[in-house]
Amino acid sequence: MISADPLNYPLFISTIIISFYLAILSAISISREKDQGTLEILFYGPVSCPTYILGKYIKDMLTYLVVVVFFLAYFLGVSVLTNLGFSYGLVKIIFVSIFSVSCIVSFGLFISSLTGKMRNSIIWLIGILIFFLAIQVGQTILFGMPEEKMSPILTYLGNTLSVVSRGVNWISPFSYLTRGIDTVALDNTFLYWLNILYSIIYSTILLVLSIFTLKRKGVRG
Amino acid sequence: MKKFIIFFAITIGWIFCLVLPSAAQAPELREQLVYGLNVFNGRGYGGGFTPRTEDTIYLIADKDNAISARITLVYFWPITGKYIAGFQTLNEEVEGTLEVLKGEKVIETLEKEDNSLYYPEGYYGESSLFYKGEEAHAYIEEFMKAIEEYYNQIAEYQQAQTEYQENFDDFLEEIKERTEAGEEIKKEEIEERMPREPKPPTPPQFYVTPPTKDYVINLPVGNYKIRLRAEDGTIVQDSEKNLVLFTSRRTGGTGYEIIPGNRWTGRESCDDPSWIIYLAGKNTLYFNSFVQDEYNELYYNKLEDPQNIGREEKWRWVHTKSIKDVTLLFSKGEEVLQKIARVPYYVKQLAGAELGYEIVEFNPEDMEMYGRQPTFEGYKLELSSTLQKTNYEINLEKKEGEFFPGGKRGLRLVRKENAKSLYILSIFPLIVGLVVFIGRRRKLIPKK
Repeated sequence: MISADPLNYPLFISTIIISFYLAILSAISISREKDQGTLEILFYGPVSCPTYILGKYIKDMLTYLVVVVFFLAYFLGVSVLTNLGFSYGLVKIIFVSIFSVSCIVSFGLFISSLTGKMRNSIIWLIGILIFFLAIQVGQTILFGMPEEKMSPILTYLGNTLSVVSRGVNWISPFSYLTRGIDTVALDNTFLYWLNILYSIIYSTILLVLSIFTLKRKGVRG
Repeated sequence: MKKFIIFFAITIGWIFCLVLPSAAQAPELREQLVYGLNVFNGRGYGGGFTPRTEDTIYLIADKDNAISARITLVYFWPITGKYIAGFQTLNEEVEGTLEVLKGEKVIETLEKEDNSLYYPEGYYGESSLFYKGEEAHAYIEEFMKAIEEYYNQIAEYQQAQTEYQENFDDFLEEIKERTEAGEEIKKEEIEERMPREPKPPTPPQFYVTPPTKDYVINLPVGNYKIRLRAEDGTIVQDSEKNLVLFTSRRTGGTGYEIIPGNRWTGRESCDDPSWIIYLAGKNTLYFNSFVQDEYNELYYNKLEDPQNIGREEKWRWVHTKSIKDVTLLFSKGEEVLQKIARVPYYVKQLAGAELGYEIVEFNPEDMEMYGRQPTFEGYKLELSSTLQKTNYEINLEKKEGEFFPGGKRGLRLVRKENAKSLYILSIFPLIVGLVVFIGRRRKLIPKK
């Protein structure tokens, strides 16, 4: 095997699994409290929508930071035991994953703020993620077809999916994670920091939207 | 919610239904104007074509590149997902002048020029040189002369071979007669008088392609456009293409091609100095070293075949020339463990053996290899199973203490025997979680 960072791929898989867990965790966090009625009671105290959402966000991010510590310990252990290189690229991926997970947590919180029931939050989250995946798969299929075999409907559909897919790349929180890992593989410092900046902007927008939605929809399930 | 799921399922199903009927149809041939390419690729010249679907041609800057406009039949080949040109069925040259534009301004008008490729080490050699105009004709004449001379030598050889056969038969007859007459003939006399077999002539080492008429583009780095103006002054339909002239980002690096002894056809590259070679257990590796240049991945892939894909943000190394006359050093820290010379090897096919082949050192004197060529040349590195599982290095030494730039690579032996310990490491977070859980539970449940 020839590689600069042999542990990058296992780390990527681990991050994806943890991200799904955190996405579901954050997606049910608000709706569960709404569903159980505890949110209403909580808001009788000195709690505002921004502090509540930020509190949820910080809690989920701290959970991930604990996971990051385990990641570092585990991959360092793997490196020592097997002699596979613990590279600078691995540290860069772990660092960029913090910002990407921030996008995923914000996305989950936003979904949660939209729904009043825990079950609906999970269905919406999974439905949206499958929709993103279907767009990508559909576009790949149509992109691989020869031009002369494309009927006018397929050409139109292909163009539409291409535009939608570009949009999905900015909306899907998982795109930020794959892009971040990609920039490490490309060894492109500019794109690396740009992706971090985009992740911060994405998280901020979704957190603001979550606060706005929670204010508008109220605290009752 | 149900409505959303139904709508979603119908949409996905609809996409697949639209795609399916077109999957089993026979390829459709379409007449197209394409650009035939014979372009510089960093080490020599390579061909290809640009179908109508590709709107950009990528070329290396400040080098002669030959392109020609042709009408041919193009069809889509689903297995490779690429368009194929049927030049053998239809290959009609399109007449006219090629205009090169920078922005909207025509900066060059090109007429077709005679050109040919010169292969100094033969057609299958590593390098090729581009010649145009009078030079192209001069080289093809030189090649034709060399071929003619070779044929004359062949004729002379065949005559000499016939004479030799006759002389040899006479000699054997004479020896036989003398022996039968009871004469004792000394070995030295036989060796001295025995007719000598003539040596066959060697064919010309170089090869020159017959001159063709193409547009020769040689431009500095930049973005251009090309279009073909017909003799009646109109622009030929579908002849407009973007033209990207690019160059290497870094030059003069050192790259390796690694041939594993247990899978000699599965060659791997180790081009970037940051790449590490990981190995487990006993291994035999054959290294080949190259001078390499680094190009933009998208541009270079498109140069090799305009239908290739690639990424503009990525860079790739391209081997340009073999590095010979150096020694490969295998070392651990400061200590040199092996000094390895470049040797030709021959892959001997074996019936019934585990691998089906054996890699042996090439020996032209060996009857089995007589008249054959070596399969490959390389530096053989043998790693025993008793070697300490730690970090090693390879490097290329020109002379004593003088190294080839960028030739250093890390080589690590993986400790497979520790693989089981990874399970314990994986359980560690669960143990931490369990400790936290029990600790919290104890705090919550008051002691009786």
